Amino acid sequence: MQRFALLVGWVAVLVGVAAYAAHALKLSTDLRSFMPPAQTADQKLLMEQIGEGPGSRLLLLAIHGEADERLAELSRALSVALRGDAHFSQVVNGEFDAGMLDETLLPYRYLLTSSFDDEPLNEALLADELGQRVEDLGSPAATLLKPLLPRDPTLEIMKLAERWSPPKQPLVREGVWFSPANEALLLVQTHAAGFDPAAQGEAVAAIQSSFESINGVGGKAELVISGPGYFTVLVNASTRGESEWLGRISTVGFILLLLLAYRSIAVLGLAALPIASGALAGVAAVAVVFTEMHGITLAFGFTLLGVAQEYPIRLLSHRRAGETALESVRGLWPLLLTAIASACIAYLAFFASGVTGLMQLAVFTISGLLVAGFSTRYLLPRVLPLKFRDAADTPGLGTVWNWLEALPRPRWLPPVLLLFAALMLWSASTPFWQNDLAALTPVPQDLMQREGRLRAALGAPDVRYLLIVEAADAEGVLELSEKIAPRIDALTGQGAVAAAELPSRYLPSIATQRLRQARLPDRSALAAMLGAAETDLPFRAGLFEPFLDDVEKARTLEPLTPAVFASSPIGARIDAMLVKREGHWLGLGTIIGMQDPAAFDALSHETGGAVRLLDLKGASESLVAAYRERILRAFGIAIVLLVATVFVAFRDLRRAWHVLAPMTLATILVLAVLRFGGTSLSLFHLVALTLAAGLGLHYALFFERPTPDAAEARRTLHATLVCVISALLVFALLAASSLPVLRAIGLTVSLGVGFHFCLSILMARKGRTRDAR
Amino acid sequence: MLYLILPCLANAAEIDPLSLVGGLKRELPARTAFTEVRFSHMYERAVVARGELEYLGPGRLGKRVDTPYTETTTIADGQVNVQRGSRKPRQISLDRVPELEGFLRGFSALLGGDATALQRDFELTSSGDTAHWQLRLAPKDKRLGKRIDAIEVDGGGDTARCFRIIDADDDVSILLVEQLAAAGLPDPLIRKSVERICRDGVATP
Repeated sequence: MQRFALLVGWVAVLVGVAAYAAHALKLSTDLRSFMPPAQTADQKLLMEQIGEGPGSRLLLLAIHGEADERLAELSRALSVALRGDAHFSQVVNGEFDAGMLDETLLPYRYLLTSSFDDEPLNEALLADELGQRVEDLGSPAATLLKPLLPRDPTLEIMKLAERWSPPKQPLVREGVWFSPANEALLLVQTHAAGFDPAAQGEAVAAIQSSFESINGVGGKAELVISGPGYFTVLVNASTRGESEWLGRISTVGFILLLLLAYRSIAVLGLAALPIASGALAGVAAVAVVFTEMHGITLAFGFTLLGVAQEYPIRLLSHRRAGETALESVRGLWPLLLTAIASACIAYLAFFASGVTGLMQLAVFTISGLLVAGFSTRYLLPRVLPLKFRDAADTPGLGTVWNWLEALPRPRWLPPVLLLFAALMLWSASTPFWQNDLAALTPVPQDLMQREGRLRAALGAPDVRYLLIVEAADAEGVLELSEKIAPRIDALTGQGAVAAAELPSRYLPSIATQRLRQARLPDRSALAAMLGAAETDLPFRAGLFEPFLDDVEKARTLEPLTPAVFASSPIGARIDAMLVKREGHWLGLGTIIGMQDPAAFDALSHETGGAVRLLDLKGASESLVAAYRERILRAFGIAIVLLVATVFVAFRDLRRAWHVLAPMTLATILVLAVLRFGGTSLSLFHLVALTLAAGLGLHYALFFERPTPDAAEARRTLHATLVCVISALLVFALLAASSLPVLRAIGLTVSLGVGFHFCLSILMARKGRTRDAR
Repeated sequence: MLYLILPCLANAAEIDPLSLVGGLKRELPARTAFTEVRFSHMYERAVVARGELEYLGPGRLGKRVDTPYTETTTIADGQVNVQRGSRKPRQISLDRVPELEGFLRGFSALLGGDATALQRDFELTSSGDTAHWQLRLAPKDKRLGKRIDAIEVDGGGDTARCFRIIDADDDVSILLVEQLAAAGLPDPLIRKSVERICRDGVATP
């Protein structure tokens, strides 16, 4: 009865903690909260731009599966629907859009256009333009131009629309963009950051539902979405889907294994309590200390906490006749405590690393291990049923034990293995480290190819390079970008880039606007020019009154600033290209089709670095490398702490050596095999190696333990086998996953468990009690 | 009374728009001089241009303006090429302006006497008798419909005399071709009198 009450109390506390954790912990999906603080200016910009840069917020849409005409119709309807959707800041599909400038902004065209820079608006120029309009009106295009003429006889709206259309125009058919593969193309910019899976998920869903309602029931057309945001959604869903699916299989396997090992359903449920307590305690501790945690950190934490599953298994396997569970656990405790303490002390190094993600990991793991360990020691024995089967009596176990004991343990084996490992490490030809952030969340190759194809067809900007234009204020950025525009054109002419877009492409500096304003004729002068220009032309008197009004208005306008411009569709683009930083402004020029990054060096040198090319991939890789360096440093300290703890616990060099040597050798072997197989190591491999080492420590500790009798030795073997098989069940399945992330963890831990198990047997001391049976 | 009406009815029954269009078919290349009179609410007076119209096969048209300015427009393979005086030639892809493409496709089908192709883009109706018929092409495409009301053709027998392109805002451009191309224009130059010339097939003396 007392046991039952304790059990209910325990579960109730867990439920309470779970409720608190679910309420208090905010799970973040922003990659930045996983990354270390940025050090260099480029890294800082990267942290901002990762996900928020103009390139990474683009979604590329392609519609196919019907005749061109129908596809064009769908493209137009979809762009209308999405322009009305608050998720998107920009939707373009190649249609000529005379409404690109709002009605209120139309007079500004005389400040934005460069048409009158070389030769100011004068009679000759006007006469020439008007003559051309008469010809235009006699051409097939007449009906298109007519609505614009009275207000805009020099067609500045058309000239600006041309200037603002993407620098590398895609093919146009049926009035909208098409790819060479017969897909209607659209370019959509989301408000949400590219690496925010939740917000991107909403945007993608909005696109899909709009398309479905436009396509209609039974519509044959299909929509393809691509782009960084879409990949974020996709990778998130597939990682979660596959790990849940694999998780279910391994849970079933795990349950069967425990049932087979302990022949009791009650035990099965109870054995899960310590690790559940540990996990919840970990989450709650992070919630108290940090309030926010990244999804990846949490996943790493759960992985590392896998060690704790050993604790109840050890207790269950080591129960014996004539002894209460409490007495059994007392016998095991010193060893378990050594394992727990050494792991916790090692993780302290993570806490000291100063990287938020690693500190969270340390808080999670340390509190999780402690709670799992202490609940195994103090709570679990008190709720276990009195009846149990002695694991030592498991049929066949004795035979296995004898066979293992009889294996030769050649002294030359470890050095030979070490030599082999060294050879394998030395012969590996791939880079040792994987620094590419994308490798953490890989996108299937065929989707990447499709992305590349659509990006090329759309002439969409590179996500890798940005041209940075730095100045004290926004005006300075625009002035500088006007100044270097000819240089960039020259670079484009040389073929260094296919095209580049500077902020000044969309908005001239205030200085330039004022200059243009000053050159505009006043109303009476313009009316006189117009009168003279019209003499021989058929135009109705007073037709161009709206033109006179607009030019007059333009003369007194306050120059257009990014803030005022931002309300219009084109203004939104300039807004995305200007970033305010402490004390200065950055202009973010986009690059299309980079061929020769080194060609920008001279420009960067001349401007003293104010204009420079930012390689986002390079910056992110340097960030990952810096991060890894800190993790490795933490690992180094952790290893020293762990070794020290084991030595202190044993106070015996020889025993400590027998525990640490197989662990170290096994870890080196895993590294060697991974490297020999061509794997470049990532953070995921490091975390998996740590888990494997933690498990290996347990195997070595328990095999090294002097056993009083053969039955106890069999119990040790039983416990270890259950642990090894359960770990393999979980991680070998992960190793078979199609996702590199899961495969990296699964393969590393599986290899580790195998090597640690074999080596802890083969390197254990000889001369223990042989089993009579 | 009845015998007076009957021949008219018989005549009217013979005016089938499809056979009218079919009758317009010519040996390639088909060329005709033209006089274009454009009436627009933007203009104080009508603008007159003279030149030559050329039909070279499906989707291939040429229009050369000689006065009052010189301009050569050729349309082939979905590309419009405009050469004005000594300026740089301009190229426009019709893909960028699909409504224009429908219009030109229709115009070319009309000159080629291809009724089937014409019916793809236009609704065809006709009136009058064999000596004085009128064909009306109303665009099916809504976007083109917003810009153009109809193309009307006046003719007699198997010859077209006038093409009238009526914009949605009621501006009109009238092309007098074949025997009317060199006809004297009425003075004052107003729309009604030009339309009467087209209908009657006889220039004002």
